[in-house]
Amino acid sequence: MRRQGQIWITIICIVLGVILTAQLRTQAGIRQDIPTKRIEEMASLLKEAELERDALRSQLYELQIQTDEITSQEKSITAGIRKDLQQAKMIAGLTEVQGPGLLIILNDSTRAAQSGQDPNLFLIHDEDLLKLVNELKASGAEAITVNGQRVIAATEIRCAGPTISVNNTRISPPYAVEAIGDPAALESALKMRGGIIETMQFWGIQVQIEKKEQLLLPAYLGSHTFKYTRPVDKREAQ
Amino acid sequence: MFWPLAGILVGMLMGLAFPFSFPVAYARYIAVAILAGLDSIFGGIRSNLEHNFDPVIFISGFFSNAIFAAVLTYIGDRLGVEIYYAAVFAFGVRIFQNLAVMRRHLVERVQRHRSK
Repeated sequence: MRRQGQIWITIICIVLGVILTAQLRTQAGIRQDIPTKRIEEMASLLKEAELERDALRSQLYELQIQTDEITSQEKSITAGIRKDLQQAKMIAGLTEVQGPGLLIILNDSTRAAQSGQDPNLFLIHDEDLLKLVNELKASGAEAITVNGQRVIAATEIRCAGPTISVNNTRISPPYAVEAIGDPAALESALKMRGGIIETMQFWGIQVQIEKKEQLLLPAYLGSHTFKYTRPVDKREAQ
Repeated sequence: MFWPLAGILVGMLMGLAFPFSFPVAYARYIAVAILAGLDSIFGGIRSNLEHNFDPVIFISGFFSNAIFAAVLTYIGDRLGVEIYYAAVFAFGVRIFQNLAVMRRHLVERVQRHRSK
């Protein structure tokens, strides 16, 4: 009687073992396949797109240089117009510029958040960078870059998950903000009592400010097409 | 006690030998079916220890429990009711109860041997 029972139980156990293995294999497949494959796929797609973008960007830069050369070669363009063009390009941030200014390096707080404190307060947010850039502009900065991204009229400084997006490029700490302008004026504007630096340092955010005699800021490398905007012809308007 | 374990090992080796797996969509139902099967096996071992093992009841119980558990889970999913948890709870509780009863039987047997 007991012998017979054991035989039947053993046979059923074999059946269960087969099903169990198949199920384990299915579960392992679920765990491996879906998330990691998708993440890897997305990551490689992203990388590809970014490479393509960088290639296009450098191509664009080269083409811009070529256009500049051609324009400067054309003798018909008078020096005045060329000067105007140069001025306009400098305003728009399309040329490399140099001059004295300030280098500000920001890094996340090393201080550990105490329980009950929001750890977000100890990180640098898009708002902090935006405020800093705004303050620099207000105190007379003529050209600004954030981690090598030239700040132009259309530049966004926006939260992009764990990073910050500037000129559609994601940057992460440490953030290096360079600004050309009167170094003393810029510095005093930032270091003002109750100003932006004091607020950031209150939360332990590391701020380094260096006055520089010579800063070299790169040109804006993105594309800038006007899809909707048309210039107004003044004679027509009047 | 040794034979069922050996059986599961042999079954797993056989499962490794032919590489088939279930469609991912059915993984939940197979899991419930396996739980039901485990419950039946523990029930079988228990009744074997109690000397009232019946192969017909055991085998029909194994397959019908597994199939009904899977089907009920499937129906529950269609209806939006998580019968899955009910099945896991019911079979889980029974497995542990059976384990406890088996342990008691084995302990009693060992003690009887000692006292003899």
